Amino acid sequence: MEEDIGPAGPGNGTQPVIRLEGVSKVYSLPFGDVIALDKVSLTIMPGEFIAIMGPSGSGKSTLLNLIGSLDVPSEGRLYIDGEDTSELSDDELTELRRDHIGFIFQQFNLIPLLNVFENVEYPMILKTRQSIRKSRKAHDLLMRIGLTDSMLAHKPKELSGGQQQRVAIARALINDPAILLCDEPTGNLDTKTGEVIMDLLKEVNASGKTVIMVTHDPDVATYASRKITLVDGRIV
Amino acid sequence: MIFFELSQRNIRLNWLRSLLAVLGIVIGVAAIASMGILGNSLTLSVTASLSSVGDSVTVVPSIGGGGMGGPTTANEQITDRQVQQILRAAAPNDVVPVYSGVDRYEIGGDRGVVTVYGITPEDMAVLVDLADGVYPRTTGGALAGATFAENNKLKPGSRLTLGGETIRVVGILEEQGMGFDINPDFALIVSDRFYSHKYEQDGYDMVIVKVRDINDIDAVKDAIDRTLNRRGDDVVTVYDSRAILEVITEAFNQIALFTTAIGGISLLVAGVSIFNVQMMSVTERIKEIGIIRSIGTKRGEVLRMFIYESLILGGVGAGIGGILSFAGGYVVSIIMLQTTEYLFYPSSLVYIPYGIAIGLVVTLLSGLYPAWKAANLNPIEALRYE
Repeated sequence: MEEDIGPAGPGNGTQPVIRLEGVSKVYSLPFGDVIALDKVSLTIMPGEFIAIMGPSGSGKSTLLNLIGSLDVPSEGRLYIDGEDTSELSDDELTELRRDHIGFIFQQFNLIPLLNVFENVEYPMILKTRQSIRKSRKAHDLLMRIGLTDSMLAHKPKELSGGQQQRVAIARALINDPAILLCDEPTGNLDTKTGEVIMDLLKEVNASGKTVIMVTHDPDVATYASRKITLVDGRIV
Repeated sequence: MIFFELSQRNIRLNWLRSLLAVLGIVIGVAAIASMGILGNSLTLSVTASLSSVGDSVTVVPSIGGGGMGGPTTANEQITDRQVQQILRAAAPNDVVPVYSGVDRYEIGGDRGVVTVYGITPEDMAVLVDLADGVYPRTTGGALAGATFAENNKLKPGSRLTLGGETIRVVGILEEQGMGFDINPDFALIVSDRFYSHKYEQDGYDMVIVKVRDINDIDAVKDAIDRTLNRRGDDVVTVYDSRAILEVITEAFNQIALFTTAIGGISLLVAGVSIFNVQMMSVTERIKEIGIIRSIGTKRGEVLRMFIYESLILGGVGAGIGGILSFAGGYVVSIIMLQTTEYLFYPSSLVYIPYGIAIGLVVTLLSGLYPAWKAANLNPIEALRYE
């Protein structure tokens, strides 16, 4: 981890890594407002493994987008790694995502124009502003996550779903984020591959990262240390 | 930089439509630059053919007398004293005083009216060139203008009657084209002594100064004007053929501008095609834009990525277009002007960097909106886009 002044550091939960205070998210539509999140308050401590559950339309994705600082609350306060997101500019939110959060999607969402190795390097290049060169860090990470050298030069589409998700995990970890956000990480994988990916996430969590995962698969949710269930935009 | 790398790869991935967009810019830049080269070559060639008459200053008596009403000085001719003044003012350039008038002539049985110039035989070579025969050595000899000689079938040795007196044609002039001082093609040139004796005229009708260095024209003009029009009266009018030439050159520059504008239209079309290609690129990659935005790419970086993309297209197109415009200018020059000598003038070649620069500006402008649109996509919606 790279936090130097330790609010989310390994100091055994002194400071929450994520804190929501009465957070609401309202979408304005032509036929009236839709309340996606209704005054949600939530505290997540470093090192937790959270599963967010709930039926479709319950606000899971909205909550994940807010925590991922892809969006800001309509109301209330949201602190990520100690920072109040409502006061950040778009560029600052982007930097927050780049340096503190790793994303893992159901669709893997690798960049089709880049090969496996470049995909993993990409966020690091964004952060360090150095041009593409074979970095040891990306290579080590890919090897640790279970890929072989022969795969690195391939384009993502040439890999199996499980392999693509591994690459996505390596990409999410390359900048040493404090938080790993997973949106249905096993949703596009068969059960067996899904289990392997979940074991990998469990391992990442064990190394100290906070993992927050949206799922509606109860088996997958058993990997989590805490379950949060949303219904109609509220935690129940 | 990684964004440049991504732009490059996307262009390579969609190579066909990128190629077509590049082709549009190539044609646009080549058209604008070769049209510019052609227009400039045209102006240069016209100026060159006119510049033989572009080096003279003509002094004529002021019409309508000087000052406020009242016939002050009946200055309808230029006196010997004034010629001396002009000589001094215009030194070291050649000064040729000219009598000019119109008289009746008769050749065989044909009668007509002809312009007659009276010039000192020694000065004739300054103003006109011979096609045949010699310059007159006696007062009875005359030179016939090219067209006048041809119409009347005159040769050196032919005789004609001018105002009742017989004179001998000793030389035929080369065709001179349009002049701004004298027009010898339709005229007869006789010696000054013959003229002044026959028409009993002392003063000259005009004085022509041939300026050796064309850049001295204004200085010579001013010097004559200052010397002769000393008291604020307009004793003589001084004009130079260059001023008239400038009007003509201006007209040809307008034509050059017009042809370049036609090239500009094709570049505009090329700009639209770049815009179209970039809009397609953005629309196809909405999901990808969502991904890179969510994992930490800033708006400005997305913007740059798409600007690079259009600049690569524009840069390649403008570069090839620049090279082709040289070839195009060469071909068009040969067809239209039968010569390529004007192609290598800096004022012609400068149209190539102009064309390239305009091509780059057009692509940058066309790529701006698509890039802005890509940068300002909502990352959440872009991620959800299938």
